[in-house]
Amino acid sequence: MSTTHVHRPPDAETRSRVSTRLSQALRHGTVIVQGEALKPYECDGLSAYRATPLAVAIPTSEEEVAAVLKVARETFTPVVARGSGTGLSGGALPLSDGILLSLAKFNRVVRVDPIGRQARVQPGVTNLRISQHVAPLGLYYAPDPSSQIACSIGGNVAENSGGVHCLKYGLTVHNILRVRAITIEGDVVDLGSEALDSPGYDLLALVTGSEGLLAVTLEVTVKLLPKPEAAQVVMASFPDVESAGDAVAHVIGAGIVPAGLEMMDRLATSAVEDFVHAGYDLHAGAILLAESDGTREEVAHEIEKIIEVMRASGATDVRCSSSDAERLRFWSGRKAAFPAVGRISPDYYCIDGSIPRGALAHVLRRTEEMSARYGLRCANVFHAGDGNLHPLILYDANVPGELERTEAFAAELLELCIEVGGTITGEHGVGIEKINQMCRQFRTAELAQFHAVKAAFDPVGLLNPGKAVPTLHRCAEYGAMRVKAGALPHPELPRF
Amino acid sequence: MEALATASLRDRTLEALRAIEPALAIVADEEGLRPFETDAFISHRATPMVAVLPETETQVRHVVHACRKLGVPLVSRGAGTGISGGAIPDPAGVLLVLTRMRQVVALDALARTAVVEPGVRNLKISDMAAPHGLFYAPDPSSQIACSIGGNVAENAGGVHCLKYGLTTHNLLAVRAIDGDGDAVEFGSAALDAPGYDLLALMTGSEGNLGVVTRVTVRLLPLPERTDTLLAAFGSVGDAARAVGDIIGSGIVPAALEMMDRIVIEACERAMRLGFPTGAEALLLVEVDGAEEEVVEEMRRVRAILDACGAADVRIAADALERERLWKARKGAFAALATILPDFYTIDGTIPRRCLPEVLDRVYRLTAEYGLLVGNVFHAGDGNLHPCIFYDANKPGDMEKSEELGGRILELCLGVGGTITGEHGVGVEKLRQMCSQFRAPEIECFHAVKRAFDPGGILNPGKAVPTLKRCAEWGGLHVHGGALPRPDLPRF
Repeated sequence: MSTTHVHRPPDAETRSRVSTRLSQALRHGTVIVQGEALKPYECDGLSAYRATPLAVAIPTSEEEVAAVLKVARETFTPVVARGSGTGLSGGALPLSDGILLSLAKFNRVVRVDPIGRQARVQPGVTNLRISQHVAPLGLYYAPDPSSQIACSIGGNVAENSGGVHCLKYGLTVHNILRVRAITIEGDVVDLGSEALDSPGYDLLALVTGSEGLLAVTLEVTVKLLPKPEAAQVVMASFPDVESAGDAVAHVIGAGIVPAGLEMMDRLATSAVEDFVHAGYDLHAGAILLAESDGTREEVAHEIEKIIEVMRASGATDVRCSSSDAERLRFWSGRKAAFPAVGRISPDYYCIDGSIPRGALAHVLRRTEEMSARYGLRCANVFHAGDGNLHPLILYDANVPGELERTEAFAAELLELCIEVGGTITGEHGVGIEKINQMCRQFRTAELAQFHAVKAAFDPVGLLNPGKAVPTLHRCAEYGAMRVKAGALPHPELPRF
Repeated sequence: MEALATASLRDRTLEALRAIEPALAIVADEEGLRPFETDAFISHRATPMVAVLPETETQVRHVVHACRKLGVPLVSRGAGTGISGGAIPDPAGVLLVLTRMRQVVALDALARTAVVEPGVRNLKISDMAAPHGLFYAPDPSSQIACSIGGNVAENAGGVHCLKYGLTTHNLLAVRAIDGDGDAVEFGSAALDAPGYDLLALMTGSEGNLGVVTRVTVRLLPLPERTDTLLAAFGSVGDAARAVGDIIGSGIVPAALEMMDRIVIEACERAMRLGFPTGAEALLLVEVDGAEEEVVEEMRRVRAILDACGAADVRIAADALERERLWKARKGAFAALATILPDFYTIDGTIPRRCLPEVLDRVYRLTAEYGLLVGNVFHAGDGNLHPCIFYDANKPGDMEKSEELGGRILELCLGVGGTITGEHGVGVEKLRQMCSQFRAPEIECFHAVKRAFDPGGILNPGKAVPTLKRCAEWGGLHVHGGALPRPDLPRF
């Protein structure tokens, strides 16, 4: 094993050997090996990074997935699994010397059990389709990433996806019961169970969010929830982001768990208002949207408490949706915020970090200071309730130096997140984008432990190498590793 | 594991432990070691070579280092209340007792978190949080004694885990010493942490992956109102259907417990609580939350109970009466001792929808064996606790009950359930692990173990069986008649 896996286009002989073997292995599936047809697979939702894979394999059965992995193993070719390709951190970015394994044809809902409130689905089924499929039963699947119309459940498992409602309903890991996966060795493993708890180590939680580094997902059993009877949203205006940040802490501190609790600052609301006319208060420094769902009595009671806390926290105006149409109009601005910001600036960079809620006001104030110092505008529109920040730094790539300033601004922001006890990702994963920040988030002992776990599942390092967990070597080069006493610990450790 | 410690290894271990600074309490004499012979799985016992009682994380790190260097097994122990034998010592190893590490390091009422050392008792956390209007949700029955470190090791549940989740759902971060003696920290104060979810992996790993030295728990606001009711049914099937209907309607009670006639009568004999003794089954339902929410949910629960044919429904009028209702549930196991001299408690989990069917089959199986069974369990989350009654003095009775226990667990597996609900695997259920999992999964467990503990010194022989043992027991799902990867090291 080399110290760092160098990816370069493979020579013609390797290319033809791997291609031929893949074509033999997939009798029903598709293999793409050259030309224009490879282009759509060059990148995922992080389009700044691109690479053309050696080949794309699109199997149709578990046996064919096993066959692709066998080819990879025997030819020592890396494999990157891909769902819908909507990931924002480059987790499904292909390797130029690797196979891209698309699970798009695994798109069947295998079984729905309404009494057990669960569904078994193949990894290529889109997130929203699960909810649509079980809607006639009065059920739905809770995690709702913004990309839910397109993103696949397999990708959701790989990234441990969240969404607007994860504050109340949890992340993907809290909403799945079982994952059937195949290791690079070709072993099919069933992790988790249909019951509440499962003996043995919690490998289900381990593979969830492992960004395709430990195994390839073949089937997912998800939990289904009854659709809430009622939902209502409160919109509150605040003079500035700090007071809105404090209000968030007070709502949570009062023991309320809203279904969603989102914040937008004035730069964001003004961009949105021109675009979708959601009826936002443009005099406010920041607005909060808080949704309550459940039975009618529960919602009425919770909305009352939310309004009370908002007022006590210094809200200058509080409005409550009186119909479902109005509720959706309040949300329309939040959902359109990113494209709306795109209208007021040639480029923007979306940051994804998490902080303890108590630190919201402090971090927002520091962000404003940084924004002034770097001379770059920054719009805030984010999942305030769970402390998941999405600052959007506005810049113009055509102005020399602006992109560099933006990147420096972003790095300083993420380090601020760590400084206050938070993390460098909220819900978008590490992928290739944040690999350097992982060196700041973790000490060597933890990174070494991650590599040891990786080696336990994938000793040769063929599954999505180079993503999610940085090599200790890379961290040392980045200069960020917290090296103890000047020595890199465990110099004998394999680093892939 | 059965090998006795050779004198020289014992001497070298003691020497290494005595050299640790700052000096830590060491127990090495026969008499002093007696109390550490077993945990609450008292049918198994072993005297450890030596026991140590560290007070700081540095001392723990040195102890692990010493064991790693000498290749001596190390078993961690909290309060010793575990009932699957997870903390039973290794006769050739060191027992690491963490009860002296019992400081509450920090309590942040605004962030609703507490940072505690592993020896802090479960109930103490809630006691400390109470003045702030907060509590720590997981509440195993042993909560007055069991320690949070042990809760993490076993992923402990409790009566209220139906609504509030298991230990793993109520933790934010864990600091631990891995098998190499390195301190590692998993999780964070924020909602999600990047990297693999090693916090979840560590939780429930029964001391096989690391020694927990510090735990950050999530605290919850105490509910505004709590209501409890007791419903009597003319048949077990009706009660089981009511459980399914309550859950199916979208209500998540704080607790949903069930007991059958044998248990009801035993409780009545022992405690005289005035329960309806003619009933075949009782359901105990607790709902908590905001005032309006509780009133509304209780109304819906009552309607469902009536529709399922509940013969008698009593709602506790005050806290005193609520306590009385709970007394029966919590004292049930003690009361069962009035039936026959011995009983064996099974702990298995099934998907809730199978409850009526599985209970019916448990009764029929028990009749086939000519034994008696009582059921008192966490119905809401499908966690069964059938108690098989027997008389150890009657030849063959115990063997019969053990065989029946095995059949019941296989029944759980057959409907898609698991062989433990909340008591862990430890040494008790090693054998059933071979039925629960196929060889590839067991191999995965071992590979993960090696990633944390390359020397295999942490609690060896517990929680995960070797492939070899599974093959010997005949329980392993062997593919094509061949034990896969015969080259695999098996500890």
